[in-house]
Amino acid sequence: MKILSKDNFHAFVDTLIQEGSMNIEGVKAKGEKFVFGPLDSAKELRLDYDVTILSPKKYFLPQFETMMAFDSTGVKKPAPAKKKVIIGVHPYDIMAIMQMDKYFFDTNVDDAYLEKRKNATIIGLIPKNVSEKAFFGNMSQLFDSQPELAYDLMLADLGDKFAVMVGSERGKALLEKAQNVAEATPEEAQKVQQLQKDVQQKATRNLKASPRGWHDLLAANYSSPVWKEQGDKCLGCGTCTLVCPTCFCYDVKDEVNLDLTSGARIRTWDGCLLRDFTKVAPGEIFREKIEDRYRHRFNRKGQYLPEMLGFVACVGCGRCSSQCIPDIADPVELFNKLAEGGMVPEGPAFELPIKADLAAIPDTTNLYIPRSATLKRVEKVTKTETFFEIQLDDGQPLGHQPGQFVEVSIMGIGEAPISVSSAPGGNTFEMVVRNVGDVTSKLHGLKAGDKIGIRGPFGTGFDFEALKGKNLLFVAGGLGIVPMRSLINQVLNNRADYGKVQILYGCKEPCELLFADEIKSWPDKGAEHLLTVDKCPEGECWEGNIGVVGTLVPKVQFVPQDTMAIVVGPPIFYRFVIADLKKIGVPEENIIVSLERRMKCGVGKCGHCQMNGIYVCKEGPVFNLADLKDIPEAF
Amino acid sequence: MTKPRVAFFDFSSCEGCQLQVVNLEEALLDVLALVDIVEFREAMKESSTEYDIAIIEGSITRPIDVERIKKIRERASILIAMGACAHLGGVQRMSNQWTGEENKAEVYKRHPGSETTKGDSNPYFAQPRHRAVDEIVKVDATIPGCPIDTAEFGRVLVALLQGKKLPIPDYPVCVECKKNENICVFETGGFCMGPIARAGCGAPCPTHGGECEACRGYVDHPHTQAHNEVLKKYGLTPEQIMNRKTMYTYRYVEEAKGGE
Repeated sequence: MKILSKDNFHAFVDTLIQEGSMNIEGVKAKGEKFVFGPLDSAKELRLDYDVTILSPKKYFLPQFETMMAFDSTGVKKPAPAKKKVIIGVHPYDIMAIMQMDKYFFDTNVDDAYLEKRKNATIIGLIPKNVSEKAFFGNMSQLFDSQPELAYDLMLADLGDKFAVMVGSERGKALLEKAQNVAEATPEEAQKVQQLQKDVQQKATRNLKASPRGWHDLLAANYSSPVWKEQGDKCLGCGTCTLVCPTCFCYDVKDEVNLDLTSGARIRTWDGCLLRDFTKVAPGEIFREKIEDRYRHRFNRKGQYLPEMLGFVACVGCGRCSSQCIPDIADPVELFNKLAEGGMVPEGPAFELPIKADLAAIPDTTNLYIPRSATLKRVEKVTKTETFFEIQLDDGQPLGHQPGQFVEVSIMGIGEAPISVSSAPGGNTFEMVVRNVGDVTSKLHGLKAGDKIGIRGPFGTGFDFEALKGKNLLFVAGGLGIVPMRSLINQVLNNRADYGKVQILYGCKEPCELLFADEIKSWPDKGAEHLLTVDKCPEGECWEGNIGVVGTLVPKVQFVPQDTMAIVVGPPIFYRFVIADLKKIGVPEENIIVSLERRMKCGVGKCGHCQMNGIYVCKEGPVFNLADLKDIPEAF
Repeated sequence: MTKPRVAFFDFSSCEGCQLQVVNLEEALLDVLALVDIVEFREAMKESSTEYDIAIIEGSITRPIDVERIKKIRERASILIAMGACAHLGGVQRMSNQWTGEENKAEVYKRHPGSETTKGDSNPYFAQPRHRAVDEIVKVDATIPGCPIDTAEFGRVLVALLQGKKLPIPDYPVCVECKKNENICVFETGGFCMGPIARAGCGAPCPTHGGECEACRGYVDHPHTQAHNEVLKKYGLTPEQIMNRKTMYTYRYVEEAKGGE
């Protein structure tokens, strides 16, 4: 531990500012509140602050961020920003940054985030003042001992001097620019310890449910009337998520300049309290009721993220509580309300979070820039659907599994998740796309030879290896045939590996039937099939069944316990077909579905496709029904 | 590709939204590269009866306005309502809640000693009914705001020319306020329509010390009840709450009454 007089500390900060090689950011006053912002002088620093309006999250996941710029010559990542020093980050906000690290480095490394993390030196500060709503003292109960925090330097205010703890080589190197740095005496170290203890005490509120038990408390209260009571008071304004240091969800939008060719793909904060957060292009909203959105925020923090990544996504900063105008966002009050039911579970201690070794994470990943691809064949197949055959320009095969999807990108318009419709293998892949949104409508206007962008393949597809030797019953409704075709073709190409193959496929009207020519070849390939339409308008020709797809189920012969049913269709279709299949004795674990959600990023980061604790873009879109038993948001 | 022909028309309004278009300055040259402006009273003297896109400013108030807007609609393939007057009926719409006599008294006879009879000869006081453009004719696109935001004008134009959905958000102004790291208006002792008002403006009013008056109208599903409770909690009387809701958004009050 080092000691630096306040005068010398200010001189140190002013030196950094004057050097100009880095942006020096710190806590300043804004009216009667505090914010992190660029410093012109060390005098601006307000290291006596209690809490800032926004957390330092804004430096790593900015409110608005250019992910890539595009013009007629192509797509470019923006140049890395200037290095930063951020002065005065309280330990609870450092803990939040460590949670962000885990989230953005998990499985898929988010390169835009990584670059900003590598570029920032964090100077922490043990708080002297604590905001009224803060409860980070309670949150430290999660662990049996103090976690090692990810700071470069950490300050503790000892009156006319700062004690300085060094947390990294980078911090050590930075501190060498300071003058008259002394070693701390044992008394000074003792004072720092006391300061830490005092602040924990000050930031402890009357929380009746230990954060170790939040997970079980939430799980037991999924249907509690509390959600509706509180939801009725909720403005749905998104403030609690926007000001939260551990809310990471974002949206991505293309902004086009007035020349109609150049522009930028922008990432911006989004929040699960907002109504259109889960809205997909055809208009479906998957979490429409405010009480469900209100509950989702708490569940994500206390139940879903702990299950996924091992941390309670709350650090006790109190920002949501102090900035929620109807005063319903306070976790302390909410968990106390839930605990009134008498259940106060006490779970085991959480594993200590680990400081990410930033230097060890290679910055070679490229999560968001699409690969260029060429449309090889474009055929309009119905009034609203078009078939595309696509080849990646780098000559690589897509390498997908049946049931996976890609993000189709058109610069200036945006990205849309589209199922791959062809079987694995080959140098091209196929999609059938309905014209429902901006990207798909633009796609429909393109012709063979035109370029698009592709990211992926993403998600978990159909496990065709596990299906080998089994009898298969395919049930497709409407566009459900599109992802299902990738599996049907895989199975028919390897027909001898599978048992009986029966395909039931229905759509609204005869003119909407997809893959009509292929269907004719199914009998020769060893698949039995039945077709149906909801209705057949006068003047159209139809020889098959009339009625919803479920009406076909009794018309085929199969042994329910001995058949795997693969069911894909629009949201409403599942409720009926699954009930029909279960009624005749198909066990849940024999039913496989593929779900539609707003899969905006495709890589498990943006949060839009989440249903309860599951990211559909990663763990799905293909699921075994038995695995969705405890996922009420699935259907 | 021939450039679409654009004509601007104003009805009951302050013409401030047209002024915003002129305020595009250099960007206006970029706009002119995309479209031909054939009528724009505030910026040029030419006029035309042939255009593809009609941009309408102002509320529809007099019988002759109704005839005129219908004619414009017939001629235009795309009709855009620009600004709060065309979108909602404007601040003038609050006069819909009173009779012609009451409005006349408010304007000409309110201050003792300066009463005049000037208004007596004005026939429009008899039936002051301001309406939004889409209550008379079909509107293809709306650019909300009082005045409109110049950046949003550009975004809407780009979206129309690209055939994209309009980039008008359906979340409240609070979202943009928070991204600007503002201190909440309620915390500074003010009252704000932001929690139910449609964003897209970038929250300039709260950012510069003002209050949001919902000049862009409400989001599609405003949590009005919860918002009323908040206004009450922060000390507004039911009458004061109603005053807040009649400034730009009396349209919704009328629609709610009509729906009863």
